[in-house]
Amino acid sequence: MPGATQPEAHLVVEDLSKRYGRKPVLERVSFSLAPGEVYALAGPNGSGKTTLIRLVTGLAFPTGGRVLMLGENVHEGGYGVRRHLGAVVEAPAAFYPYLTGRANLERLAWLSGLAGAAERIRDVLFQLELVAVADQPVASYSLGQRQRLGLAAAILAKPKVLVLDEPTSGLDPDGIQKVHEILKEQAASGVSVLLSTHHLREVSAYTDRVGILGGGRLIDEVVMEGAAERHRLRVSEPERALAVLQTLPFVEAAKRKGETLVVQGPVDEVVKALVDDGHRVYEVTADYFDLYEYYRERIKHV
Amino acid sequence: MFRFIAWEIVKMLHLRSVRVGLVAAFVLPIIWTLAPGLKQAYGLVLVSGWQVPSLALLAGMEFLYPFLVAMAAAEVLGAEVSMGTLKPLLLRPLSRTRFIAAKLIAALAYPFLVLGVSLLAALLAGLPHGLGGFFGGTGLGEGGFAGVGYLSVEAAFAEILRAYFFAALTLLPIAALSLMFAVWFNSTTAAALGAIATVLLMRLLIAFPSLKPLLLTTYLDLYLRPGDWVMGLSLLFIYTLGFGLLAVLLFERKDV
Repeated sequence: MPGATQPEAHLVVEDLSKRYGRKPVLERVSFSLAPGEVYALAGPNGSGKTTLIRLVTGLAFPTGGRVLMLGENVHEGGYGVRRHLGAVVEAPAAFYPYLTGRANLERLAWLSGLAGAAERIRDVLFQLELVAVADQPVASYSLGQRQRLGLAAAILAKPKVLVLDEPTSGLDPDGIQKVHEILKEQAASGVSVLLSTHHLREVSAYTDRVGILGGGRLIDEVVMEGAAERHRLRVSEPERALAVLQTLPFVEAAKRKGETLVVQGPVDEVVKALVDDGHRVYEVTADYFDLYEYYRERIKHV
Repeated sequence: MFRFIAWEIVKMLHLRSVRVGLVAAFVLPIIWTLAPGLKQAYGLVLVSGWQVPSLALLAGMEFLYPFLVAMAAAEVLGAEVSMGTLKPLLLRPLSRTRFIAAKLIAALAYPFLVLGVSLLAALLAGLPHGLGGFFGGTGLGEGGFAGVGYLSVEAAFAEILRAYFFAALTLLPIAALSLMFAVWFNSTTAAALGAIATVLLMRLLIAFPSLKPLLLTTYLDLYLRPGDWVMGLSLLFIYTLGFGLLAVLLFERKDV
């Protein structure tokens, strides 16, 4: 449901447009993020993801529309609004190479006006497993260490909105896992997370919504919560079983796919209802929503 | 703000062009005192160490110092763009005006730094020729190198210090111009070239006599012309302020 605005939203993007000269890069994009919500932006290269992230973070200025962060206009409300923001907008994250990781974070903490900076820096370095290299110049860091330091910098000032462009780019599997864990933790603590990614299967486990961008437009928005509650059922007399399921109030959606039924709703009650109606249920499997397949299908027509 | 400016100056000192510039400013006076063609070029035989600083200034202000200043001022911002550190800074609750103003002040400090290093090297290079009072001139005061009689140590030092100070002031608009181009182009090279091209173009515009008093290039040798200081400094101040304000205004709504 593109364009839905929630009153308590941490981040509201309204009709956001950007043109470079006469060339539109982003056209009337709208979405919002509630506290604790994870929103993934997907789209092919050139679809406008990075431009959207630059606009949302206030690095670039829109030609139309607006961005509200906790009710304050990111572009017109002064620089103070960015006290709510943590972001990594480039991969790998950039730091002063001649300074140590800790010294880089100290300067960023100072710019953010962070109280108790030393302790917080220790915490984030520990969280991102960077303690061992914290006092080495960033020039000696690996790509993965820089990426993790970027995430450490982003969460340093305890933001309410976290915006990340390709946060797992250049990371090894352990690093990727670590990033996902931290993003889940952040979301669980009420931080709204907006991230762009090409790795849809990785993020589909914890993302709440996925916005699919194509040609500068938000062409679809997938709500992941409902998708996770779907099941495939192999039953006797599938056509009659489908008719039964469609009459049940707790079944949100049901459709036939070949010899199986795909049902959205509480699976225990669905099975019980079918058995009570005289059907035999041969097999029940979770119908994992393949976000990647869905995404490929959607952008095929852009 | 003071801490912010201090940080910008420290960052500036890490820039390659700044380090190369400081080395060049240090080496130039030393090489100049050893140059075999001084007499042919300047009609000068060194009679005192106090004449070395003016030699360095005359040679450097021709092109080297304006170029070094343009490069350094452009890299003050350009390096943040090329290293990718500009975006992370602007993602913090930091005023863009404050940010670029601190960079402008750092860039404006550089001419004093580069000329300070040059003066120090010139005095060191002048030591073998003696830094006592002498009959003649520093080349920066009345009578040029020939002077108007005996010049005491204090008078010679004051003349040189004043000339270096005013030479640094004349370089300020170039620093501000270069930073403005850096904001505009997001590139060190393009900005430095833009600033140098503008200076060269202004030098060509002396063919229009009515424009000449308004060109900043007219006052690049102000340290030699004490009579024009009021007009010259006023104009250079206006140029510096104008370019600085343009840099701030451009940066305020600049897509990064």
